[in-house]
Amino acid sequence: MRGRRHANPRSTVSLSTRRRRAGYVFSLPGLVFLGLFLAYPLLYNVWTSLHAVRLQELLGGSSEFVGLDNYRTTVAEPDFWHAVRLSLVFTAGSLLFQFTIGFALALLFARPFPLGGLFRSLLLIAWLLPPVVSGTLFRWMLEPDSGAYNALLRAIGPDALGHDWLTDPGTALAGVIFANVWVGVPFNMLLLLVGLHTIDPELHEAAALDGANAWQRFRWITVPLMRPVSVTVLLLGLVYTFKVFDLVFVMTGGGPVDATSVLSVYVYEIFFKFFRFGEGAAAGLLLLLVPLLAGALYVRRLRGEGEAA
Amino acid sequence: MSYPVDRRGFLRAAGVGAAGLGLGSALTACGSDKKSGTVTLTWWDYFTLDNFQPAFTRLIKDIEAQVPGVRIERRTFPFADLERQITLGAVSGDLPDIAIVDNVAMNSLAGSGLLADLTERVEEWGEADQYYKGPWDGCRVDGKNLGIPNNSNCLALYYNTGMLAAAGVEPPTTWDQLTVTAQRLTSGDRFGLAMSAIRTEEGVFQFLPFLWQAGGDLDTFATYGATALAYLDDLVAKGSLSEQCVGWTQQDVNTRFVNGRAAMQINGPWQLPTIKQKDVEYGVVALPRDQESATCLGGENWVVMASSDHQDKAWEVLEYTQRPSVLVPYLVAVGNLPARKDLADAGTWASDPALRLFLSQLPVARPRQYGPGYADAAQAVAEAEQSVLTGTAAPSAVAKSTATKIDKALEQR
Repeated sequence: MRGRRHANPRSTVSLSTRRRRAGYVFSLPGLVFLGLFLAYPLLYNVWTSLHAVRLQELLGGSSEFVGLDNYRTTVAEPDFWHAVRLSLVFTAGSLLFQFTIGFALALLFARPFPLGGLFRSLLLIAWLLPPVVSGTLFRWMLEPDSGAYNALLRAIGPDALGHDWLTDPGTALAGVIFANVWVGVPFNMLLLLVGLHTIDPELHEAAALDGANAWQRFRWITVPLMRPVSVTVLLLGLVYTFKVFDLVFVMTGGGPVDATSVLSVYVYEIFFKFFRFGEGAAAGLLLLLVPLLAGALYVRRLRGEGEAA
Repeated sequence: MSYPVDRRGFLRAAGVGAAGLGLGSALTACGSDKKSGTVTLTWWDYFTLDNFQPAFTRLIKDIEAQVPGVRIERRTFPFADLERQITLGAVSGDLPDIAIVDNVAMNSLAGSGLLADLTERVEEWGEADQYYKGPWDGCRVDGKNLGIPNNSNCLALYYNTGMLAAAGVEPPTTWDQLTVTAQRLTSGDRFGLAMSAIRTEEGVFQFLPFLWQAGGDLDTFATYGATALAYLDDLVAKGSLSEQCVGWTQQDVNTRFVNGRAAMQINGPWQLPTIKQKDVEYGVVALPRDQESATCLGGENWVVMASSDHQDKAWEVLEYTQRPSVLVPYLVAVGNLPARKDLADAGTWASDPALRLFLSQLPVARPRQYGPGYADAAQAVAEAEQSVLTGTAAPSAVAKSTATKIDKALEQR
């Protein structure tokens, strides 16, 4: 779109207009798809959030317009804010470890070594597994009696290290974050690895010649040059992590008590356990705000990179 | 590449859209074939396990042969999906004619206007007094019959005969005896008692008997909820009940029992086939009583959808299934108990001592009949139990705050 020139108006305008029209025609199937499966549901959700919709209204078809009442109810609900807090801790905890471990692994795999490619591919399995499968696996592995992790902890330390991770409200969230870190590390590693490959090796060679040690080269060459990639990875991670539902639901179902009722679980329960559709839609849209913000930032960055290049 | 819509929101709404597209074909699919006069009834249930299939195949074959002009089209859903599927079906108009639903689902379905009122037909039929009070009341909402019982079950106390003999104790009949017995039976990695306190309806199903036995109900939770919670808290404090039970389903509980990791368990008759396959010597007694004897009613109800164009035929089918000659083989084949008193001496439950015990408890089995706010109230109860058993809250304090939540939930209409 940018950089259109008008050197010879008559001929190029008609050509570009024709091209633009053809473009619209070609993108029509995509637009219809987006409209049907993205815009319509989203708008329907907005409509629902503005009406008092429960099971009766859903069936009757007529529901009362209540303005922002559903939003007010949601915001006044302490459980909602509890869920927001949990979601923030879950996201921050997941991102911190996913990113640092992913970065470390990316540095490891940046240099070729025997079987490196194989290990890298194997690591990807974590990311490719459906969350229901990884969630179930981790639930078993964190089992107090027969789980692998507790057996390992007891083997290397005193028996007291063995712990019922998922049924203790104090540690359940940590257990879920642990599983989600495992799921997210490969994604971080892969993107960061691509970033590492874009750094000109001559920079490292030149610095080494100047007497910089490994730490100095990492601190003053790798880290600054990786900043744009890192921000992108973290933004994408934020979008993915904030809305994680399946993994948490399979591992703990939101419990014990409400120790792992992150926002997505909270919204699910409002919808399908309590059948308060209006309120659920409002909470769902509020849940969308954070990823939406991160998404907008990400798109702006992409555009910025495009202009810089 | 941006993702402005959360995936579930998308799926949910896409489902609504897709269901809408499917509406046309669904409407044509369930209708009557005018020429032959045969009516096709769609039927939904959640009996998906393989061992249930012969019973349903036979029942449907019998219906199609004996009820004139009826063909059945059965569709099964996973247990957790049926109620949600009916809800989604209410939006898209894709609903069955008849369904077999969990008795606790009557709370949410009753207020929705989704279920056909069967009161007049039931009165004309005149067999209401043949049913146990609990199961029958569980089908009645505001004086109207919105269904009839399909089968019933309830909770009782299983015990490992060998372990009790070795410890020299008798099966407990009161709360105090349960405390002492459970403690005597606890040793090493074996717990005296196992039960489910998970954060779903299963956990609530297992907790409510304690509330009722204490003499209370959901509307007196501040007092009697505290008593029940304190009692269970004490079992955990004494080490007789593992606090891990907040993560156990009833299936998990049974696994512990058959593996000898628990000497007693609270569970239902549907576990009997699994237990009988294992090498466990067991007995079953009524749940220990405190102020009252009580257990929680489980099982399923038949319902007819208000949207059905063939309610008369649907009722004919339901009535047919309740004939003793049809009902007994069906219940024996699915391993469930009858909700009818007149069948007490008919099937396997007449000879099997364990089944007989469960059947004997049906008169004190209470339905969870609290209205549309029940799901919210149940969640509050589950969280109260979990917070006490995991040691994050004191019974009396949490009972008081939970009572407020329950009152608020049950007020809504």
